[in-house]
Amino acid sequence: MSFVPGQPVTAVVQRIEIQKLRQGENLILGFSIGGGIDQDPGQNPFSEDKSDKGIYVTRITPEGPAEVAGLRMGDKIMQVNGWDMTMVTHDQARKKLTNKREDVVRLLITRRSLEEAVKQSKGSHPRQ
Amino acid sequence: LRIPLMWKDTEYFKNKGELHRCAVFCLLQLGGEIFDTDMVIVDRTLTDICFDNTIAFNEASPGFELRVELYSCCSEDDYSAGSTPRKLASKLSSSLGRSAGKKLRAAMEPGACSPVSNGGAAPLLLPVPSVPGPKYHLLAHTTLSLSHVQDSFRTHDLTILGNEECSYWLPLYGSMCCRLAAQPHCMTQQMMGGWLKFKQCGGDPQNWTKVYAILKATSLFCYQRQEDVEANVEPALTIGINKETRIRASEKDPLSKGQNICISNRYGGEEVTHTLNTESREDTHHWMEAFWQHFYDMIIESSNDLSSTVSDILARRMQELELRSQLGTSPTWMSVFEENSPKCTGYPVRPCTSRLSGHSPHFPHRLPSRSPVSPHRCPQLGLLSSDASLTSDSDSHCSTSPCCHRHGWPEPSSNFSLLSSSPSRLRPRTLSLDAKLSTLRGRGYGGGGTFQCSCQPPSSSLLTPLPVSSRSPLSQLSTQTTLSCSSSTSSNSSSNSEGSHSPESSEGSPFSRPSPVRRSLRNLRARLDPRNWLQSQV
Repeated sequence: MSFVPGQPVTAVVQRIEIQKLRQGENLILGFSIGGGIDQDPGQNPFSEDKSDKGIYVTRITPEGPAEVAGLRMGDKIMQVNGWDMTMVTHDQARKKLTNKREDVVRLLITRRSLEEAVKQSKGSHPRQ
Repeated sequence: LRIPLMWKDTEYFKNKGELHRCAVFCLLQLGGEIFDTDMVIVDRTLTDICFDNTIAFNEASPGFELRVELYSCCSEDDYSAGSTPRKLASKLSSSLGRSAGKKLRAAMEPGACSPVSNGGAAPLLLPVPSVPGPKYHLLAHTTLSLSHVQDSFRTHDLTILGNEECSYWLPLYGSMCCRLAAQPHCMTQQMMGGWLKFKQCGGDPQNWTKVYAILKATSLFCYQRQEDVEANVEPALTIGINKETRIRASEKDPLSKGQNICISNRYGGEEVTHTLNTESREDTHHWMEAFWQHFYDMIIESSNDLSSTVSDILARRMQELELRSQLGTSPTWMSVFEENSPKCTGYPVRPCTSRLSGHSPHFPHRLPSRSPVSPHRCPQLGLLSSDASLTSDSDSHCSTSPCCHRHGWPEPSSNFSLLSSSPSRLRPRTLSLDAKLSTLRGRGYGGGGTFQCSCQPPSSSLLTPLPVSSRSPLSQLSTQTTLSCSSSTSSNSSSNSEGSHSPESSEGSPFSRPSPVRRSLRNLRARLDPRNWLQSQV
């Protein structure tokens, strides 16, 4: 899922809508992110391409809002509420997810299994 | 120096919009020295502005402020040399008074007859050169200081001036990557030199060898003749002087004129002591002062966190108080402490004699392999000695060590009040730079926790094989104070790759939980270190 500079990025994505949960003063989503253009992509355990500086889900709180909504560990977040997440710093990503004025985040995520599923379904229906 | 840009994707990918091109360069200023980088033409095909220059400043004090400024000038196509927009030209010609305008035009057109001035109705093209060249505007700036000196490339924030409306505007991402390295003079220059008598085992004072000793970098080099120093002859003897070295001046030896100075290092499990004799009390004084300053310089050099440095320094100074009472005089470097003022926190007492220089011949080429994009050169404050490079690495790993200092170590001010009473006590004959610390330790800091620094420094080292790490006897006490932890940290970092690392870090020393404040400080450091792969909970 790396990109070629100058070319648009394409991916098979899934929409996930997470309702934030209020915990005291905070609104939490129940997952952790890693990555960012200011981070070292080589240390990302979830990325296929070790030069991918995208934002990945590194941890999911069990039974938390994210898990309930269908987010899984290892997912790459492409957009949050319309904001691009493929070319952002770690902190920018975090900020987009923790906007206090929003109580729901709509994510576009991609994961390997999605790509596989699409490939397989394509393959089983050869073009005529 | 690399400054990333952030073009809009429409501009970058689809080549939309006019080609906005700017010429940029950087100015770097430190104190009275100012340098500029080469000029780079930037347009939207570039993702970063890279300046490949290496810049060295030779006269920086520890409190330096390196100001980096990015200047940019729009270089649009119609501003090519030799023409001015018609409107501008006509305005100029009409705004100047008739006679002044005439003179000006005459002056500008070499050898031509004065062109007719028709009051501005027809545009007049004036040659550009009177206004020398394009005008650069300050687009962004930042200031770096000692705290930014690190072993590898770091990202610094830029303050950006101007906005999209300005002609010289470039969409800066907002940060600048560069490597700032610093090397104190004590590492490259001779700090002290003089004649000493070197005691050989079993010899009597008459037969002690006279050597010319030079204190430099991490050793005391002893030569047989003064000329040997310049002649690059191998020294007869090299004694390691580092943060773990213990130096004692003993009482006046009845057999010899001057005093004995004992320098002890720990090599592996053994302690090796060299004894040198000085000619006079004054000499001893000068040498001890030089050693002290050298320790201080090494500490400053190796730690970016001055607050931790200060705790170290304070500890040593406590030891010096003892020394002072025996020497009878108050060395200049002690005078501040007589006032009991904790104002030394943060900065060296003496007008900084530790200066930063840029003369080291090697460039430790330890670029992190994970950042292939960063340029290999950037402004440096001189080249980093391996000592400091190792240390600052471990500084970032052992980020808690400065924090843990305060855990078991009371406020500096109270330290002082405690100590000022001590010189009046009778001291044992042999003055020890560390004896004081052990008494201090036994006294009140029994509850002091210590933080187990389990980090190990990166192993590559450019140090000459000076076995450095040692366990000072202080650590044998069951309650290790933070000082030994910090020295072990420093010694960890300056230990060479032969593997003699300080065992303190793996000892089962009492482990105390850092307070939440320390933890957040640690977190902050972890966050700011680009080598960590940051994870945030949302």
